[in-house]
Amino acid sequence: MAFLTLDGLTKRYGEVTAVDSLSCSVEKGEFVSLLGPSGCGKTTTLQMIAGFEQPSAGHIRLGGRDLAAIPARERGLGIVFQSYALFLHMTVRENVAFGLEMRKVAKKELKARVERALELVHLGALADRYPRAMSGGQRQRVALARALVIEPELLLLDEPLSNLDAKLREEMQLELRRIQREAGVTTLMVTHDQSEALAMSDRVVVMDGGQLQQVDSPFNVYETPRCSFVSTFLGKSNNFAAMLESRDATGSVLACNGVTLRGPVAHLRPGPAEIAIRPERIRLAAPGEGLLRGTVQERVFLGAQWMLAIDTPLGGFLVARPNSGAQEVEIGAEVGLDWSPADMRILPAGEAA
Amino acid sequence: MNRNGAFSKAFNILFCAFMLAPIVVVLGVSFTPEGFLEFPPSGISLRWYEAILDNPDFIQAAWISLQLAFAAATVATLLAIPAALAIGQSRFRGRDALQAIFLSPLMVPTVVLGIAFLRFLSLFGLNGTFAGLTACHAIIITPFILRLVLAAVTGLDMSAARAAESLGAGRWTVFRRITLPAILPGVVGGWVLAFITSFDELTVTVFIVNPSTTTLPVRMFSHITQTTDPLVASVSSVTVIFSLALMILVDRLYGLDRLLIGEGKKA
Repeated sequence: MAFLTLDGLTKRYGEVTAVDSLSCSVEKGEFVSLLGPSGCGKTTTLQMIAGFEQPSAGHIRLGGRDLAAIPARERGLGIVFQSYALFLHMTVRENVAFGLEMRKVAKKELKARVERALELVHLGALADRYPRAMSGGQRQRVALARALVIEPELLLLDEPLSNLDAKLREEMQLELRRIQREAGVTTLMVTHDQSEALAMSDRVVVMDGGQLQQVDSPFNVYETPRCSFVSTFLGKSNNFAAMLESRDATGSVLACNGVTLRGPVAHLRPGPAEIAIRPERIRLAAPGEGLLRGTVQERVFLGAQWMLAIDTPLGGFLVARPNSGAQEVEIGAEVGLDWSPADMRILPAGEAA
Repeated sequence: MNRNGAFSKAFNILFCAFMLAPIVVVLGVSFTPEGFLEFPPSGISLRWYEAILDNPDFIQAAWISLQLAFAAATVATLLAIPAALAIGQSRFRGRDALQAIFLSPLMVPTVVLGIAFLRFLSLFGLNGTFAGLTACHAIIITPFILRLVLAAVTGLDMSAARAAESLGAGRWTVFRRITLPAILPGVVGGWVLAFITSFDELTVTVFIVNPSTTTLPVRMFSHITQTTDPLVASVSSVTVIFSLALMILVDRLYGLDRLLIGEGKKA
């Protein structure tokens, strides 16, 4: 039996369905991300688990008990808010101690637990500061310590890194993961940032339009997306409408804008479909060789790699090439595009052009 | 930083002079040795300050005004805090109407209010009583507090209250430990503003006092309708100094700009 179970969870605001019968589960000790664009219902889901919103239908079970009748203040969850929601008139120590005070923890034990929580987030030296006098990253740690000190059964993180600048965000990703492992706490994080979700989670729950799209490990959602939305929302992808003409145990044949392509084993019936190829799986070949002929339209240098926009008979392709230290092909150059059929994904027909 | 031009400098000086001139005149007049209002004074004398001590009815009136202002500001604050929290933090039917009702005493002419209160208090036999006065003053000054508290509530991060709730705090604890400390500058500022407004309220009060509850402004008003001696000038000077002292005290405690403008987050 899973530790946290969402079962047909639904939230309607009048005519609008924010969360549409969402079912998924989180194992004890696991780090799971709810990933999706803004308005996909992920924050509403978190609010319902926290007890700040009442579900219109469905159940939330935590460790076997149904949370429906339990008010937010008795759920005992640790929550880190997007704005951190620190108590600005209290010192760091007082902020962290608040949850223990509410639990009427004896003074001596309270002091020891606050110290331990502050050590865990490396803030021991700043315990008597006020949050106003701290940087964004430090406030984030205070919020984390305050949520963890009550030893919650479940830690909820609401876009925890979105207020930090890019460099600090990458540092905090690792740091957050370390803290979560050390505390051993089951964690559910809401984020719209796919790289954050991929980097930090054991499993990713991809949501769109209030509905669950796919649940899997970061590697699997990236490598084997189940639908067009997942393939384009996580990482970059070249997606084209195609017609699945035939399939057998060794592979498949697709027609795409007049070009015939070989694909991997398809699980769909022949008919309209969509193909997806990651930019980093495409190799450049001499013009006339490979599967497609194309012209380089745009070239962007990203440090570790080059990103090329290439015009082909199928449409525009994005191609990522590692920076090997040599000069990259020039804009306007004629090239051939090649990939192995196994790197192509065949998805149900979506809205891709 | 841009420097002020000569024109705006001159304007600022003129404006300050215009604001301060009446107070300077009153202070000047209060030091006159003569028995009539003269400015500039022909000498320096504390004669009219000594005269205050010979008029126990003025001291009695000042005492009543202080008590009244304290009671009314406190009652109005207790009304305004929950109202501001409701209006500022939640959306419900009639929210705008509620806000309009709370702010309406600012829009109704005070003379009209005075007559209305007179009639209304008579119905309950409260006319001229301290309780009646307190109620009426509380109504008049609630808008001042409400606006300051509302400004504080509007700038509040609602998630702090939710964070406290998730940590196990009940509603009252959340209010006492989290919300109230966060809006306290607005509350204190509103209370002081309300206190001063009540302390010098005349138009409404003149309708509803009786001889035993005469406030200082009413006492001064009836005094100058009978005589024109500089006693009112010295009494006025004392109240000006009292208000100033109160403002300085609040400034030291909280910072006036933070209270009245609502910015300046001094760490």
